Amino acid sequence: MMIRVKLIANYREALPPEAKHGVVELDVPNGTTVYDAISRFDIPLNDESVIVLNGLTVDMNTPLVEGDMVTAFSAIAGG
Amino acid sequence: MYGWHLRILRVNLTTHKVTTEDVDPKIARDYLGGRGWAIHYLYKEMDPMVDPLSPENVLIFATGPLTATPAPTGNRYMVVTKSPLTGALAHSNSGGEFPTWMKRTGFDMYIFEGKSPEPVYLFVNEDQIEVRPAAHVWGKDVHETTDILKAETSEEARVACIGQAGENLALMAAIMNDKHRAAARSGVGAVMGSKNLKAVVAMGNKNPALHNPEEMRALSVDTSKNVGADVKKGSNMRIYGTSYVPQVTNTLGILPTRNFLQGTFEGVNNIDGDALKNQYLIRHTPCYRCPLSCGRLTEVPDGPYKGKGEGPEYETISSLGTGCGVSNLAALVKANYLCNEYGMDTITTGMTIAVAMEMYEKGYISEEVIGMPLKFGDHDAMIAMIRKMAYREGFGNDLAQGSYRLAEKYGHPELAVTTRKQEFPGYDPRGSQGMGLLYATSNKGASHMEGDVAYEEVFGVPVKENPLTTEGKPELVKHFEDSFALMDSSGLCVFVAIRYAFNKDRMILPQRLAEMMNFSTGAGYTPEEALKAAERVYNLERMFLIKAGSVPENDTLPYRMLHEPLPDGPAKGKVVELDKMLPEFYKLRGWDEKGYPTKEKLIELELPLN
Ligand code: SF4
Repeated sequence: MMIRVKLIANYREALPPEAKHGVVELDVPNGTTVYDAISRFDIPLNDESVIVLNGLTVDMNTPLVEGDMVTAFSAIAGG
Repeated sequence: MYGWHLRILRVNLTTHKVTTEDVDPKIARDYLGGRGWAIHYLYKEMDPMVDPLSPENVLIFATGPLTATPAPTGNRYMVVTKSPLTGALAHSNSGGEFPTWMKRTGFDMYIFEGKSPEPVYLFVNEDQIEVRPAAHVWGKDVHETTDILKAETSEEARVACIGQAGENLALMAAIMNDKHRAAARSGVGAVMGSKNLKAVVAMGNKNPALHNPEEMRALSVDTSKNVGADVKKGSNMRIYGTSYVPQVTNTLGILPTRNFLQGTFEGVNNIDGDALKNQYLIRHTPCYRCPLSCGRLTEVPDGPYKGKGEGPEYETISSLGTGCGVSNLAALVKANYLCNEYGMDTITTGMTIAVAMEMYEKGYISEEVIGMPLKFGDHDAMIAMIRKMAYREGFGNDLAQGSYRLAEKYGHPELAVTTRKQEFPGYDPRGSQGMGLLYATSNKGASHMEGDVAYEEVFGVPVKENPLTTEGKPELVKHFEDSFALMDSSGLCVFVAIRYAFNKDRMILPQRLAEMMNFSTGAGYTPEEALKAAERVYNLERMFLIKAGSVPENDTLPYRMLHEPLPDGPAKGKVVELDKMLPEFYKLRGWDEKGYPTKEKLIELELPLN
C-alpha cells in the first residue's frame, strides 16, 4: 500500500532526493506501523521528535492504512 | 541589593520634570521585576478606569533582575500600560539591545506620566536625563528616527521609538527598538503617541552588581553550552527562526487561514521557512547575548517588493500571510518591513485586514467604502491597507481601530476573531484546546505569550500533550500563565528560558531560572517561591482588569471558535470546549465560580483586598 512520510524543517535532510516539499511516497507492506514507517529515516525516535499520523497524536504502534501521512518534526526548538 | 538597581526614573511629560526614586527591597522581591514591578506601580498609582489615550494613563518601561546580567538572553524589557485596543491591561515584551542599554543607565524602570505639549524624546545617559524636542523626527518612520537620534546623541546609544502608526494613534501601533524589535501588542505605541513621546534613547555603563558573579557566570556558560549543543544538532530556531512553524501548524490543522475560516493553507509551501531561507535570507541575527539567535535578516533584492529588513517570523506569516490568504512571499516580506517601519503589530494588522477581506467577500463592506477590491489572497491590496492604517487615511481609519471595532461598525462583530478585542495569534484553538482556554482568560486579551501551552500541545516542548483534548488543560494553562509571568518579570527571553531554565517535566519547574535570579539578586527564591510571586503578579493583573471594567464575563471566545467547527484538517469538526475547562480553571486559580479572585486567595498572596 502507498503511504506518505513528511519531514519538517531540519528533518528534511533525512529524506531521499526525490522528496518534494518534505514529502515522500512509500510502498509499504500491510501491517506497517507508524513506528515502522518513521524508523526508516535517520531522525531521533525519542522525545526529541514529535511524530503524528494525519496530524493526530497516536500510539507509535498504530497500523497504517492506504493514503496515511506520517509527519515528524524536531521538538528541540519550540515556537 | 544586587541584580536590581532599585531605582526608578519618573518622567512627568506635562511639565518635563524628571525625578528619581528608590524601590522598597520587599516590593522588589515580592514582585520580581519587569512585568511584576510594573503592575504593582500601575495598580497603586493609576485609576484603572482612565481613558487609555488620555494624559492620565501611565506608561511603564520595566527591565528585570536578569536584564543586563551575563544570563543568556537577559536582554528583555516589558512595556506596561492600559491598552487602548482592549481597554484592559497591556504588557508587551521585547529584546534586542535597547533593554540592556536602558538598565545600564542605572534605572530598572522608567515611568511616564502626563502628556507633553509638543513632541519630545527622552535622552538618558546615567545621570544626564533630558526631555528634548522631537519635532524634527515627528512624522518619520522607525528607521529614520532611530538613525537621526543616534546621530545626534551617540552611536553608543540605543533607541526605542514609535513610527507613524503610534503618532496617529492607530490601535495596533507598536513600540519598536533597535529598528526591528517590537513591544508589539495591545496598542502600546498609540499610548506613547498620545503622550507626544516619540522616542527613548538610552546609554550608560551601570551594569547591576551581582550577588554571586562567579556562580552566575558559571551557570550562564553552562546554559549557553546547552543551547549550543542543540544548535549543533540542528535547532530549527537557529536555522529558520520561527518561520518553520507554518508547516507544523498546517500539519496539525491549526494554521489560521482566511480569518480562521480554515485551519490549513494550500499555499503553505510558498511561504514557509525553506522558501524564506532559499530566497531571501541573508543571515540570522541575535538579540544581545543570545546563543540561539532566532532573528532573520532578509532582503528582497529587486521587483515591486524590493527592500531589506528583519522577518518575517511565524506570527507575521500566520496573520499577514495565511490569515489574509496571501501566498506571495516577497509581498509578505515587504508587508513585514512596512509594519516595522510604521511601527505596527503584525498580528493585529494582519488579522484586521483578514476580517475586512472576509466582510468584503460577504458583501458587508463595499468596494466604494474600501476604495478598492479586497479579496483574500490579494497581496497588493493587503500592502495598500497597511499604509492606510498607519496614516488612518480613508478606510484605514476604520482599520486602525482593530478588527473588533471594524466588524462591529459594519454590523458583524461575530466575525472578529478576538478576545477582549485583541486578535488571536497563530494557533487555532479549535485544534489546540488549551490555547482556547488561554485566549479566553489571558490578562491582555488573546495572546500566546500569556502562557503558551502550544509548547506542549504543538511543539512537544518539553513533553507532548494531545492538543485536541481538554483533560488536564486548566492545570496546564494556569501553570504556564504563572511561568510566563515569571519569565516576563525576570528579563529573560521565553524562547530560551522555557527550554533551558525550567525542568523538562510536563509541569515545568523554574529550577535554573530561580538559581539565576538568586545569583543575580541574592533574594534566595526557591523555584516554588518564584512561581508564587508570579502568581501574585498574575492575580494583581486580574484585579486591574476587573477594575478597568473588563469583567470575568469577557473570559470567553468569539462565535467562530465556539460554534463554527473547523471545516478541514486533523481538527475537522472541532470547536473549543471552553465550558469543559473554565470552571475547573477558576477553581484551580482560587477564584469564585464567576471568575473573581476570592478574599482567601488575595490574603494568601498578600495582595490588597481592594
Ligand atoms: S531567542 Fe530570538 S528573540 Fe529570544 S533573545 Fe534570542 S534572538 Fe532574541
